[in-house]
Amino acid sequence: MSIVSLQFILFVLAVVLVYYLVPKKIRWIVLLTGSYVFYWLNSKWLVFVLLATSLVTYLFGLLLQWTNDRNREYLSSHPELTRDEKKTLKEKQKKKSRRILSAGILLILGALLFLKYYNFFGDNLNSLFFSLGTNWSVPYLNLLLPLGISFYTLQAISYLVDIYRGKVQADRNPAKFLLFMSFFPQIIQGPIPRYKQLANQLYEGHSFDYQRLCFGAQLMLWGFIKKLVIAERLAIPVNYLFENYTSYTGPILFFAVALYGLQVYTDFSGGMDIARGVAQMLGIELELNFKQPYYASSIEDFWRRWHITMGSWMKDYIFYPLSLSKAFTNLSRKSRKILGQFVGKRLPAFLAMFIVYFCVGFWHGANWKYVAYGVWNGTFIMISILLEDVYVKARKLCRIDEKTVTWRAFRILRTFTIVSVGRFFSRANDLPTALAMFGRTFTNWRNISFLTNGTLLKLGLNDANWIILALFLILLMYVDSKHEKGISFREVFARQHLIFRWAIYIAAILLVLIFGIYGPEYNAASFIYEQF
Amino acid sequence: MREQLLALLEEIRPDVEFEKEKKLIDESILDSFDIISIVQEMNDTFDVEIDVDDLEPDNFNTVDAMIELIEKLQAEG
Repeated sequence: MSIVSLQFILFVLAVVLVYYLVPKKIRWIVLLTGSYVFYWLNSKWLVFVLLATSLVTYLFGLLLQWTNDRNREYLSSHPELTRDEKKTLKEKQKKKSRRILSAGILLILGALLFLKYYNFFGDNLNSLFFSLGTNWSVPYLNLLLPLGISFYTLQAISYLVDIYRGKVQADRNPAKFLLFMSFFPQIIQGPIPRYKQLANQLYEGHSFDYQRLCFGAQLMLWGFIKKLVIAERLAIPVNYLFENYTSYTGPILFFAVALYGLQVYTDFSGGMDIARGVAQMLGIELELNFKQPYYASSIEDFWRRWHITMGSWMKDYIFYPLSLSKAFTNLSRKSRKILGQFVGKRLPAFLAMFIVYFCVGFWHGANWKYVAYGVWNGTFIMISILLEDVYVKARKLCRIDEKTVTWRAFRILRTFTIVSVGRFFSRANDLPTALAMFGRTFTNWRNISFLTNGTLLKLGLNDANWIILALFLILLMYVDSKHEKGISFREVFARQHLIFRWAIYIAAILLVLIFGIYGPEYNAASFIYEQF
Repeated sequence: MREQLLALLEEIRPDVEFEKEKKLIDESILDSFDIISIVQEMNDTFDVEIDVDDLEPDNFNTVDAMIELIEKLQAEG
C-alpha cells in the first residue's frame, strides 16, 4: 500500500477515527495495531525481521540499563573508594557496557549488512577471486529487503547508544517498544526518530484537536502535490534522459541532473510531508527532515538542511565519537607535531568526516556509485574548510559585499550546481555510467540550439506538461522562500474565513486529482528513498 | 580560567562574541568542526577528558556552561 494511494488515505482515516474513539489509555494500542497491519500489508512475512530486530533491541536495551543501574548502585554504596579507585572502576564498568552495546549493534547491523550488502560484497569478492585466478566463488542469494530496514536500523542503534550514554532509560514495556520501532507514517523512509523525542508522544493518548487535524491534513495534501504533481512529472524527462544519455551532451545533461535533484527533493520531502501530516493528525510531532535545502549557500549548509535526521544521526553516532576517540586524539597530537598546527588540528575531524560521508553514500545502497556520491560531497566540504582563509582574503581583495542579494544568489547557484552534478552518482545505473555522464556534461556548451530546435519537447513531456511543471516549481520556490522567512501558510490559512479555507482545500485536492501523474489504478510509483 | 577559555574560543572563532552569545549550539553559531576543535583545546588546556557523552548543547551554549563542564570534570578527576 503506497502512501500516495486511496487505500492509504482510507487506512489513515480509519486509524484516526478509531484512535480518537477509544479511551486515551489504550490509544497507543491502536497505533501499534495500525503500524503492524500497515507493515504486513506492504511486506507480508518480512514483518518478522522487523519484529526480531525490535525484540533484540528491546532486550539489549534492558541489559544495558540493568548494567548501568548496577554500576551506579555499586558506586553509591561504596563511598569509601578513593577518587582513583572510582576512576578505575568506572573505566572497567564502561568497558563492560561497551561490550554489551557492541554485541547489540553487531546483531542489529548484521541483519542490515547481510540482507542489503551480502550480494554486493559477494560480487566484489567474486571479481577479486576471478582476477586472482582461483575457483572460489561466493554464491548469489535471492534476498528480500524488509521495508524501511535502513531507517529502523539507525533508529535502533541510536536507542541503544543513548541508553549506554545514560541519556534515556530503557523501555520496560515490550509492546510499547514495538510501537516505537514500527510507527507506520515514518517506517518507510523516516524521519529517523530519537527515542527521547518520539516514544512518549506515541505512548500518551492525545486529545482530539480540530486545528491540529486540519494542519496535518494540509501538510499531507502539500506532500501529495509535491510527489504526484511535481516529482512524478519530473521523473518522465529524467528517466528518458538518463536512459538515452549517449545522445546528449553539455547543458542537456546538466539539465537532466538538475531536474533529477528537484525530483529527489520533491519525492523525498513530499513523502516526509505526508508522514509528518499523518502523525500530526494523531497529535504526534515527527522531526523536520528538510529545511529548504535549495536555499543553502554552501555544501555544508545544504547537508544541514537536507535529510536532517540522518545528518544529525551521523554526527552524533559516528562523527563525534570518532573525532573524540582516543585513537583520533592521539592522531591529532602526533599530526600537529609533524604537519603543524593548521593541518594537525583539522586532520582527525577531516578523517572522521570522510568516514561519515563514506557511510552516508554506502547507506544509500550497495553500489560503488553511492560511495562516490558520498565522497563527492565530503570532498567539497573539506575543500571549503581548508581554503576558508583563502576565500576570505579573495573576497576582501575583490571587495565583495557578502550582504548583497547578488552574492547570496551566486552562492545558492554554486551550491545547487555542485550538489546537482554529484547526483550523477546516485542516479546513473552504475559508477562507469555516472562517470561517462559526468564527462559528457562538460562538453559542447557552445551549442545551445536545443533551446529553439524542440529538443526539450521530445523528452516525454509536451508543452502543456512543461508549463504545468514550471508553474508548480515556481509555486514550490515561492512556498520555500516564505518558509525560509519563517512564514507558516497553515497559520495564515487558519486565520481566514471558513469559505476561503475550504476553497483552498478543494482547489488543492482538485490540483492533485487533475494534475497528479498516476500509474495503473491510480497508483503512483514508489518513493526513491523507499528503496534505500 | 575564564580568560584562558575565552582566548581559546576566540582563536578558533574570532568572529563570534562569545560573552554575548547565549545559544552557541541551538542557533548553529558553532558547527561540528568548531566543537571538535574547542573540545581538543579544552582537553589540552584544562587537563580534562571531555567525552562524547558530554557533547550536550546545554554544555556548550554559553561560556558559563563550558566553565561549569570543565569544573565538573576537574572535580571528578
